[in-house]
Amino acid sequence: MDKAAFYKLLKEKIVILDGATGTELQKRGMPKGACPEQWILENPHAILETQKAYKEAGADIVYAPTFGANRWKLKSFGLEDKVEEINIKLVQLSREAVGSDTLIAGNLSPTGEFIKPFGERAFEEAVDIYKEQVQALVDGGVDLFVIETMIDIQETRAALLAVKESTDLPVMVSMTFGEDEKTLTGTDPITAAITLEALGADAIGCNCSTGPKDMIPILKKIKSVAGVPVFVKPNAGLPVMKDGELFYDLGAEEFANFADEFVEIGINLIGGCCGTTPEYISFLKEKTKAITPKLWRESKICALTSVRKTVVMGENMPLVIVGERINPTGKKMLQQELLEGKLSEVRRLALEQQQKGASILDVNVGMPGIDEKKVMVDVVENLSTLSELPLCIDSSSSDVIEAALRIYPGRALINSISGEEKKLKKLLPIAAKYGAMFIALPLDDKEVPSTAEGRIKIIEKILEEAKKVGYGTQDMVVDGLVMTVSSDQKASLETLKVIEYAAKQLKTSSILGLSNISFGLPERQWLNSAFLMMAMAKGLNMAIANPSSENLMELKMAGDVLIGRDANCKNYIDYFAQSKPTSQSTNKQPKEENTSTKIYEAVLKGEKEDIEAYIQQALDEGMKPFSIVDELLIPAINKVGELYDKKEYFLPQLILSAEAMKTGFNYLEPLLLKEDSGRKKTKIIIATVKGDIHDIGKNIVGLMLKNYGFEVIDLGKDVPKEEILKQVKEQNVPIVGLSALMTTTMGEMGVVIDAAKKEGLKTKFMVGGAVVTKEFANEIGANGYAEDAIEAVRLAQTLEQ
Amino acid sequence: MDSTVRYFESIWIEPPMGRILYRLGYKKTKTKLDEHQREQIEKLIWEGVSHCHPKGAFLILPITDRTKDSVTIGKHLVESKSLTELLKNSEAVALMASTIGDEIIHAIEDEIKKENSVKAVIFDSTASQMADKTVAWVMDFINKSLQKEAKALTSMRFSPGYGDLDLKYQKIFFEELKLEKLGISLTETYMMTPEKSVTAICGVENRVRREDE
Repeated sequence: MDKAAFYKLLKEKIVILDGATGTELQKRGMPKGACPEQWILENPHAILETQKAYKEAGADIVYAPTFGANRWKLKSFGLEDKVEEINIKLVQLSREAVGSDTLIAGNLSPTGEFIKPFGERAFEEAVDIYKEQVQALVDGGVDLFVIETMIDIQETRAALLAVKESTDLPVMVSMTFGEDEKTLTGTDPITAAITLEALGADAIGCNCSTGPKDMIPILKKIKSVAGVPVFVKPNAGLPVMKDGELFYDLGAEEFANFADEFVEIGINLIGGCCGTTPEYISFLKEKTKAITPKLWRESKICALTSVRKTVVMGENMPLVIVGERINPTGKKMLQQELLEGKLSEVRRLALEQQQKGASILDVNVGMPGIDEKKVMVDVVENLSTLSELPLCIDSSSSDVIEAALRIYPGRALINSISGEEKKLKKLLPIAAKYGAMFIALPLDDKEVPSTAEGRIKIIEKILEEAKKVGYGTQDMVVDGLVMTVSSDQKASLETLKVIEYAAKQLKTSSILGLSNISFGLPERQWLNSAFLMMAMAKGLNMAIANPSSENLMELKMAGDVLIGRDANCKNYIDYFAQSKPTSQSTNKQPKEENTSTKIYEAVLKGEKEDIEAYIQQALDEGMKPFSIVDELLIPAINKVGELYDKKEYFLPQLILSAEAMKTGFNYLEPLLLKEDSGRKKTKIIIATVKGDIHDIGKNIVGLMLKNYGFEVIDLGKDVPKEEILKQVKEQNVPIVGLSALMTTTMGEMGVVIDAAKKEGLKTKFMVGGAVVTKEFANEIGANGYAEDAIEAVRLAQTLEQ
Repeated sequence: MDSTVRYFESIWIEPPMGRILYRLGYKKTKTKLDEHQREQIEKLIWEGVSHCHPKGAFLILPITDRTKDSVTIGKHLVESKSLTELLKNSEAVALMASTIGDEIIHAIEDEIKKENSVKAVIFDSTASQMADKTVAWVMDFINKSLQKEAKALTSMRFSPGYGDLDLKYQKIFFEELKLEKLGISLTETYMMTPEKSVTAICGVENRVRREDE
């Protein structure tokens, strides 16, 4: 069967799929834990009866019982070398059961392994596993394929690619969504539908997991974006255990009653999953036999996806910011890390841009001395599970682009495809194969046109070529090509004409690399901002920019409102609602305050950057160092303590204030020593006891104690009691803080305290740690227990008195 | 579900902003935080998140024997009254482990060395909450997978070192889940590195019909 015949069938009638196979086989004696495929081959009557019954009930398509007949699944039964034989024989049995007038779909399902980036198996391994099964199913004589009960979009992509790279037979793809309307690995129905349709699925659907009622909202979402037919195979309700057996409580007639709603939504193929029987299918057939199916929309929508998110672009949609920061050009730290194979900076930049409002992340790792393909694949895999934003693959190498598109678990954007003959011929088929959207860059082998007319000519040529490989205007994003206005003052106007042409004539999306416009000129933000507004007014709907620029993001918000792309001004209100200061208002002049107030406020607000200057000013004005400490710093930090107790301040604010206080105190310290050598910091030893190797908590306590003016002697972790006592004696330390994380090591704290007492030391002990309690502290004779770092400071302050 | 260890190499965890702030003492109705401070703190949380690499593993094992005070999980005898009580309606257990990797631990240590207290405590809080959410994600994944078989995990989970479940039982997790594959190791005193790694056990129960269903 070819795709045209498949679609012709779907236009004629509601196509009925079969019902459950597993539960029918169990009824016919298949034991729990058996390998279904092997059991069927040993007991062929069971599948023959089941599938004959489905055919008689009215099924137009039955699924070959090859659900688990892939190498990885069969391996758990020691049958991994019989993939070909098993698949062929199972298809032959199906054919024997239903004859040639009922279609047989080769069934591919989860391998039972998890695929990268989510799991440990390489993507290509999964593609090969499926290809082996696909080939056997083709050899067995299936009419089409179904990929069903999928829980992970990446594994689904592997199966779909395996089919597309092996045969032209139609392929239906169905994922399983839970009650939260997501797959087990977090993909929503809209995102799944866009990703799979772009990759070449001929029909999209959902099966298993829930009953028909819960599937209706999922199906509506799929239908809202799908440009291919949609199908459904619900369970007979949710399963419960009754007398040791699985039981589904939705009856056949009740189940089939949902057919009306399915048809109304526009579903073209309906069947049943777990718990359904030929009776259910018979009722479905009866319900739908006289219905003329609705046709499906035959165009894709302009959207990009990641594993968990869809970003839709369009005339009335808000301007989409493509974060430009993941690009090593001019970034030394990023360059260094990429050369060393590290991705910390890439990860930080990705999340920072996401937080700042980017909708898509541009990824460019091109630089001298780098294996660009390998690094691009690493980055794409890494970002796929770190950020929820879709990616824009930015490279001049078609090999790098192809490698990235192949493993990217979503629908990506390619940056970019130009009119250069060689590139066009090579990249367009690659882009089309993986269903990516692409940026059309209006330059070719001859020139970078300076006029809009020249650029439009190239864009038209790119579009014409793109249409030949199945693309439509909605899949292309036109780059207006921004040239610097300092070298050609007409450059901006020509770019704007291209944007207008894309929006009005072609009805495509358009994009600009905004900041090029102002290159070489001072105060560039004004030119960038003005140009963005002009381009938005001409129809620009995407911009490659740095989302950390508040000015730009605020303008985008305002522009979306004024051009009518922000319904009810919702995004604008949300953006500014959290009393977000505008870039204008953050520049407001501080009100005039005297120097003492400035010092007090600096501690209160945790502004350590300014405190030294204020203190110097106060000293210049004649204030004594001790007065600054006693009348300003200490009262301010006490006020902070009060605010913390009232929960008006929380820990980071308290620490910021303590740091400001410490900065001020350190600045004054030499003067204080001159004035009065009697004031000294109290020494305190901190240590994580023997056997315990985790000391983050203890180290944070150490930092806080330093901030509050203690001289901290940190002995580290896994410290034996002898070392602690030796240091106490040698350095004459009045307070020791002991930490332990585990029940197995906390006893050691008591051992240290006992040993100190035996030696007659007067040192006071404070203890803490995840499993330590006040009661335990009392039990081992500690002088105090602190639950957290702040309590530790307060306890130390009490103990020093 | 079969008895094969499943590994999640890279789990997407949405940062639990509310919980991270709460752990730092933030009280929604009381704490006064201006927008500049909030932005700075959120930026540091996101930076902390970028250092986290959530991974997980799990395995379903049958309960092969039980007494009043002990259960045998696969071949492992576990003496613990509270665990035995937790598993009273279960025929199998889920052994789970998760980690957020050592990059965040090194990042916290670096910030402590540089005496950047604010960054250190924010990273620490972020790491703890990301670790908690990762093990919760693994539980949720198993639960959703079990739904098809009309089964569910016990809502409570136990970890070695809690209550009367001795820390020595960490060894079972390491033996069965081969946690070195996730980059987790165990010291002689049964401590896991990197810090912020979690092991947990839940019972697998039949999903019985409730009156309101």
